[in-house]
Amino acid sequence: MQKRMLKNKLSVLLSIILLCSMIMSIIYVSAPKVQAANEQKTFTVGFDAEFPPYGYKNDDGEYVGFDLDLAEEVCKRNGWELIKQPIDWDSKDMELTSGSIDCIWNGFTMDGREDDYTWSTPYIDNSQVVIVKSDSDINKLSDLKDKIVVVQADSSALAAFTGEDATDENKALAESFKDLQQVSDYNSAFLNLESDMVQAICMDIGVAGYQIESRGNIFRMLDEHISSEKYGIGFKKGNTELRNTVQNTLLAMKDDGKFDEIAKKWGLETSVCLSSEDKFLDDSQSSNTSSEQETTNSPNKLNFGDVLVQLLNGMQATLLIFVLTLIFSLPLGLLITFARMSRFKIVQWLAQIYISIMRGTPLMLQLLVVCYGPYYIFNISLDQSYRTYAVIIGFSINYAAYFAEIFRAGIQSVPLGQREAAAILGYSRAQTFGKIIFPQMAKHILPPVTNEIITLVKDTSLAFALAYTEVFTLAKQIAAAQASIMPLFVAGLFYYVFNIVVAFVMQRIEKRLNYYH
Amino acid sequence: MKLLEINNLQKKFGDKVVLKDISLTVEKGEVVSIIGPSGSGKSTLLRCATFLETMDSGELSYCEEKIVKNENGKSVYPSKRVMKEAHSKFGLVFQNFNLFPHYNVLKNVSDAPIRVMKRNKESVLEESRRILKKIGIDDKENAYPCELSGGQQQRVAIARALVMNPDMLYFDEPTSALDPEITAGILRVMKGLAEEKMTMVIVTHEIDFARAVSDRVVFMDGGVIVEQGKPEDVIDNPKNERTRTFLKKLSL
Repeated sequence: MQKRMLKNKLSVLLSIILLCSMIMSIIYVSAPKVQAANEQKTFTVGFDAEFPPYGYKNDDGEYVGFDLDLAEEVCKRNGWELIKQPIDWDSKDMELTSGSIDCIWNGFTMDGREDDYTWSTPYIDNSQVVIVKSDSDINKLSDLKDKIVVVQADSSALAAFTGEDATDENKALAESFKDLQQVSDYNSAFLNLESDMVQAICMDIGVAGYQIESRGNIFRMLDEHISSEKYGIGFKKGNTELRNTVQNTLLAMKDDGKFDEIAKKWGLETSVCLSSEDKFLDDSQSSNTSSEQETTNSPNKLNFGDVLVQLLNGMQATLLIFVLTLIFSLPLGLLITFARMSRFKIVQWLAQIYISIMRGTPLMLQLLVVCYGPYYIFNISLDQSYRTYAVIIGFSINYAAYFAEIFRAGIQSVPLGQREAAAILGYSRAQTFGKIIFPQMAKHILPPVTNEIITLVKDTSLAFALAYTEVFTLAKQIAAAQASIMPLFVAGLFYYVFNIVVAFVMQRIEKRLNYYH
Repeated sequence: MKLLEINNLQKKFGDKVVLKDISLTVEKGEVVSIIGPSGSGKSTLLRCATFLETMDSGELSYCEEKIVKNENGKSVYPSKRVMKEAHSKFGLVFQNFNLFPHYNVLKNVSDAPIRVMKRNKESVLEESRRILKKIGIDDKENAYPCELSGGQQQRVAIARALVMNPDMLYFDEPTSALDPEITAGILRVMKGLAEEKMTMVIVTHEIDFARAVSDRVVFMDGGVIVEQGKPEDVIDNPKNERTRTFLKKLSL
């Protein structure tokens, strides 16, 4: 008894030591980085790599843009090394807070975020504009009534319509839309517009000018603008030291003309508004009221329950993808198995090519092809509702390929003697498969099928590629709006519980079939 | 009546000739044992006769009705309907039983008559139970094959063949997968069938059993029938040298 207790204590002690050493090693690994940031040898700029002309990937595969050029010059003058860090726009706050980037410098709208960051003074004055197809009959803002408008998730355009500081005018305008949708990047937005799934995009004027030009003028901009806003560089709240250094360097660049030179290079000279007259936002308030403001003015934080309620729609959407994908992909997989095992060589080959493509290319790519392919390949204009179908079709045809190979292995695992016994007793081919082979195959393939189903639960999050708001997409959006990581944990919990249920159900089925072996 | 008639059967696997010009006739009520060394083609002959393998050339009749015809030196098989009819003439008991593992004993025995022959369910179940009882395994009708011993499984397999009411039964080395002390029980069941004048073709290594139950013994070697006749002639006084060598090896 005592011995056993000792053993227990020992194992607890061991686990604690193990845990401690893991934590220590993490701290140790990350320590040099913290030090480097303090000495400011490097300067890491976080930016959305799909936001030309401020920051994007050019034809040579390099990250370039107006903001990155500015940052490069600032680094040069301070003797820092510039690190260009593309980030997921929804996760920008986590990146900044965790210290993995030093600032967000990327056509970053100050309006509505005044208290969330330590800001430079505004350097670009930008407006939100509406883009439609050249042949569209939309000519003024009021024409947007009952139309589907798309914006980038967590963009200033979205804030202009639905943010806390949105004007009543803009709110009313957004109300008149048939739907206001969010996509993760501008490229998706233009894909949607070009294939007629949406009728208009709302975005920053600088970005819009660049996009329209580079896309061959099949789009045009409405003359009426939605709102005016200013861009600044966002630093982690309280990091005034770094902010001041960068700000002073920028002002020096403005004085010696380097700033305007860079602006001209990117065609933004008319939008420049950097001035030594401007005061920092946080200078206008005493530090006391500022911290008070932070607590009172920060967006009302949601608790666990609220987040759960907000995520419910996303959970339903995830469940829908999951259930429909299983309903369609399992029979489709069986069909492909039959083709794969067909007597006709050509049918066999076709099935083999299908499986090889479906397994050999990323699921996300397949989703994009299914969604936008009909327009770009066959020039078929697609309805907005097709998006949901595209998600289901994409998942089903992909998973069918995996299921087909599992089924084939399952069929081959049933001994030949079973088929022969059935043949001798006079069973038809259909009866032999349905009554003799299939039930035995089903038992053999349960473990690999369970694996696939569990993967499917997690893969449903890839639907975000088509701007389909399942639970993960929604969690990212809420996390961005709340500047909190909690919604992501709630989503993670959802997936985990979902999979525990799946595993439990599959285990039950396996037990059910355990009456023979 | 000739239940089975095979003429000039040839079968190749790739380049290897497994059966050369085999002709064999089985009369109604006759018990024929096929013996011979492994690789002699015994099992292939049985599999050709039961349509599990296709013949390359030669012809085959059941109940004096020609099923497989020989045209230009090639075997030609008839329509599905005729084949289905021919299938109902015989049953086959496998060396490794091949019971359906997901069905219990009663369902293994009764499923084919109900599903394939569309016979009345009640009468099939009644007959299945009667046959299971006769074969000595009526207390296991709810058991699954994995719960039975090899001997019990082979009894079920024999019952499954019998419920189909075949004109004749094939046995492909029915006791080879069994322990010696269980073998005797199965042989007794087969002997019982022989006494009821069931037509049987048995591929076997049990020489004593072959001698005891067979009306005729066929000795095969190298894909041909070397010698056939009454058991006392073929087994006790073989004329052919190859038969003598084979039997001598067995007795050592």
